[in-house]
Amino acid sequence: VTIDVARQAVEAARTSGASYADARVVSEEGESLTVRNQEMEGVDRSLSQGLGIRVLVDGYWGFAATARTEDAEIAATAALAVDIAKAASRLPMDPVRLAETEPVTATWETHLQEDPFLVDLDEKVALLMEASRLAQSVKGVAFAESMIDLYRRRTHFASSDGSAIQQTIVHSGGGIEVTAIGDGEMQRRSFPNSFRGHIRAAGYEHIRSLGLTQEAERIAGEAVALLRAPECPSDVTTLVLDSSQVILQMHESIGHPVELDRVLGMEEAYAGTSFLTPDDRGKLRYGSDKITVVADATLPGGLGTFGYDDEGVAAQRSVLIQDGIFQNFLSGRDTAPVIGQPSTGSMRADGWQSLPLIRMTNINLEPGDGTLAEIIGDTEDGLYLNTNQSWSIDDKRVNFQFGCEIAWRIEKGRLTQMYRNPNYTGITTEFWGSCDAVGGSEEWTVYGTPNCGKGQPGQVARVGHAAAPARFRNVQVGVR
Amino acid sequence: MAAPMGPDDIRQVLDAALDLPEADGVEVLMMHEWGGLTRFANSSIHQSTWREDTGLRVRVVKENRLGIAASNDFTKDGAARAAASALELASVAVPDPQFPGLAPPAEAPAAPDSFDEATANTSPGERAEAVASLVGEVGQGFRAAGAFETTAAEIALANTEGQFCYAPTTQATITTVVSGGDGGAGTAEEAHRRSADVDAVAVGRHAFQKARDSQRPQDLEPGRYEVVLEPLAVSTLVAFLSYMALGGKAIEEGRSALTGKAGEIVCASAVSIVDDASARGALGLPFDFEGTPRQRVAMIDHGVFRSGVYDRRSARMAGRESTGHALPPPNPDGPFPLNLTLEGGSASLDEMIAATERGLLVSRFHYSNVVHPIETVLTGMTRDGTWLIENGEITRPVKNLRFTQSILGALSDVELVGRDPVLVSEFFFSAALVPALKIAAFNFSGRSDH
Repeated sequence: VTIDVARQAVEAARTSGASYADARVVSEEGESLTVRNQEMEGVDRSLSQGLGIRVLVDGYWGFAATARTEDAEIAATAALAVDIAKAASRLPMDPVRLAETEPVTATWETHLQEDPFLVDLDEKVALLMEASRLAQSVKGVAFAESMIDLYRRRTHFASSDGSAIQQTIVHSGGGIEVTAIGDGEMQRRSFPNSFRGHIRAAGYEHIRSLGLTQEAERIAGEAVALLRAPECPSDVTTLVLDSSQVILQMHESIGHPVELDRVLGMEEAYAGTSFLTPDDRGKLRYGSDKITVVADATLPGGLGTFGYDDEGVAAQRSVLIQDGIFQNFLSGRDTAPVIGQPSTGSMRADGWQSLPLIRMTNINLEPGDGTLAEIIGDTEDGLYLNTNQSWSIDDKRVNFQFGCEIAWRIEKGRLTQMYRNPNYTGITTEFWGSCDAVGGSEEWTVYGTPNCGKGQPGQVARVGHAAAPARFRNVQVGVR
Repeated sequence: MAAPMGPDDIRQVLDAALDLPEADGVEVLMMHEWGGLTRFANSSIHQSTWREDTGLRVRVVKENRLGIAASNDFTKDGAARAAASALELASVAVPDPQFPGLAPPAEAPAAPDSFDEATANTSPGERAEAVASLVGEVGQGFRAAGAFETTAAEIALANTEGQFCYAPTTQATITTVVSGGDGGAGTAEEAHRRSADVDAVAVGRHAFQKARDSQRPQDLEPGRYEVVLEPLAVSTLVAFLSYMALGGKAIEEGRSALTGKAGEIVCASAVSIVDDASARGALGLPFDFEGTPRQRVAMIDHGVFRSGVYDRRSARMAGRESTGHALPPPNPDGPFPLNLTLEGGSASLDEMIAATERGLLVSRFHYSNVVHPIETVLTGMTRDGTWLIENGEITRPVKNLRFTQSILGALSDVELVGRDPVLVSEFFFSAALVPALKIAAFNFSGRSDH
């Protein structure tokens, strides 16, 4: 029935004058539980459903969305989308051309073993209470939080090209965050990752595999120990990053700069542009020959994994950087023709109410060789930084600064002194150019970034990344 | 096509959520929002959107256990289903010993000018015309990007204690970045209740002038400089200070730089910060998202920290009354000041520049983030126009610099406060009314290539 609503909206848009139209009927459910010091900080469910209609009229885009799907509302919303497109012609623009795509009729869903929404609430709460209790049992802990976040999005997509696609995507995540406070300091440790943990395209089996109760006391102990640890020194040194920090480094300084809409100036007023130009393809040295980065929407478990993007383009794997040389952008049907390419299938909206934009799928640093222990063992002197705490990068994605939760000194291949408040800064291509080691597939981990902001009105996407730990030379650390 | 439903029709749906005899208490927050955004780049309109949504957020209390359910099914059945779902969640929650109860009945002050029908009904053609007039101010070889958004909303809250409040509101916001030529960019923006108050031509002209004046920016060594921060840059500092330090929960839990510092000098005496949703030009709501009327809170008074802002739970922790600053539940970060004013002074921007021996004029900051919350250290980049000032005069534009700086440290070094505060739109019904500031020392820790 719902796909019929999408088809009806496309037909209404065509009747109103659209040369092309697509429509998405989206229903998104969420469940979020947070325990803090044995108290429920939040236990909530959400449901949002509605219809978004996108049209092309004389080469201009229009988009309108409504939460109601009665016949009259569908027709009125489609007509409004057409009016919006017509109004856009007030200023001249090269008409939008859409990259070719084959019409598709398909159904796709996230592979999962255990529907997370069917697991008893009591069981979820018990897990979080136990993780929080164990972390709080460590002397000196101020706050011990544990959390689970679950999402299920059902999308029914139809287009005037003849596509009709139904997808169900499930994301499950969980984690613990422990805070210690004292002597004018506040220190936090997170597990398995910061910002509400480790989230994947998976079912409740992922939550069970996280080991929240097994790791709670260790993480809590580190948070307390950080209060007494010295400040990270200011130095230019060798830096080893854990996988979770490599993925955020990649997100900000590779994932965003390769978005073609940024390159073409379409995001200039808000998120910014990019230092890259279309002529850089196949020429620009982005990093050392250790750096090969792909965009892979087919990767099992990634937050950017799907069957089809929100324009109906099939999921694909494309090489962005090969052996350090920049190769290609992330694109959609309306931007790819500008550089003479097919769409890379990267267009996603954060809900029914939003226009699809170029978003990262799963942006992955291909694995190299060796374990984290071997990389550290092979390092004479340097720092090992773990778990992101803060990020900042300029509007062309050139100058960045990241903070992590914890660092250790590396001396003659061994971890020694712990440091608090570690951070580092650099220039994108210089930094990736200084990479001389990337860990192997045994260390390669699929993480998610569930809070990627872009667009106006603002959208928040859940995107995926995979990486192994990596080593970088001559990096400025301890920025004051 | 969208229109206000009005308090009577809304209340009928909200009552369906309140009718839950198994619960000890029910609160339902409703937000009906609609509006359009005309987005432009390369001096063309490339992404224009419109949306309407009506969301319900039901909080159910059962033996001090709380459950929350949100839905955009705005029907009596939908409201009842959301309430039943929240009750189910409450049944598995552990009791909250700090739960202060739902807000009692209290009249929120009327805000008669908060809703402008013309703004609520702005057509795509009217937005496009305004954008065209902005773009018309941009000279040859330059391009404009930005957005013109007109939105309307009805916010209502009802609970089983008998509280009901309702407020309609509108807002029109236009932002732009103009760039081009031989490198350089400028920015400008305006936010008002009424779209008729938006001067798109002035916004375009101002941003173009900045872009023209920032051509061929040159390298500058990072270091400590005097700065003149324009209002957009000041709003970043004030917003992050609110986030890190001015919420009652952070203060009571010892996570704020201002914990235990009431009555102490924390900034220069020229700095006074208040939160006041009813201030002239503010875009605030008369009540918070628990239904408590918003109070004016003098947070920093001539450099002395007086008070943070509180919701009902953090107020109970502090042994005081809520100031009416709750966010929608669940709000793990606690209360937040959404309507900040940094009170204006007497200096013009030219006077601040003239008083600067060697420093920087900063238009705005970009992608800022917290480095150390208890020391209120922030990092971020300059963007869209940064200039070197030497001997009281602007001498040349400079490439973007990274700052790593304590906010309270910067506010302690304020020497001059601008006399023309500007309303800067922030997120979620919030806006800051802030002037320019001249600060004696500001730490720039790095630089970029443009």
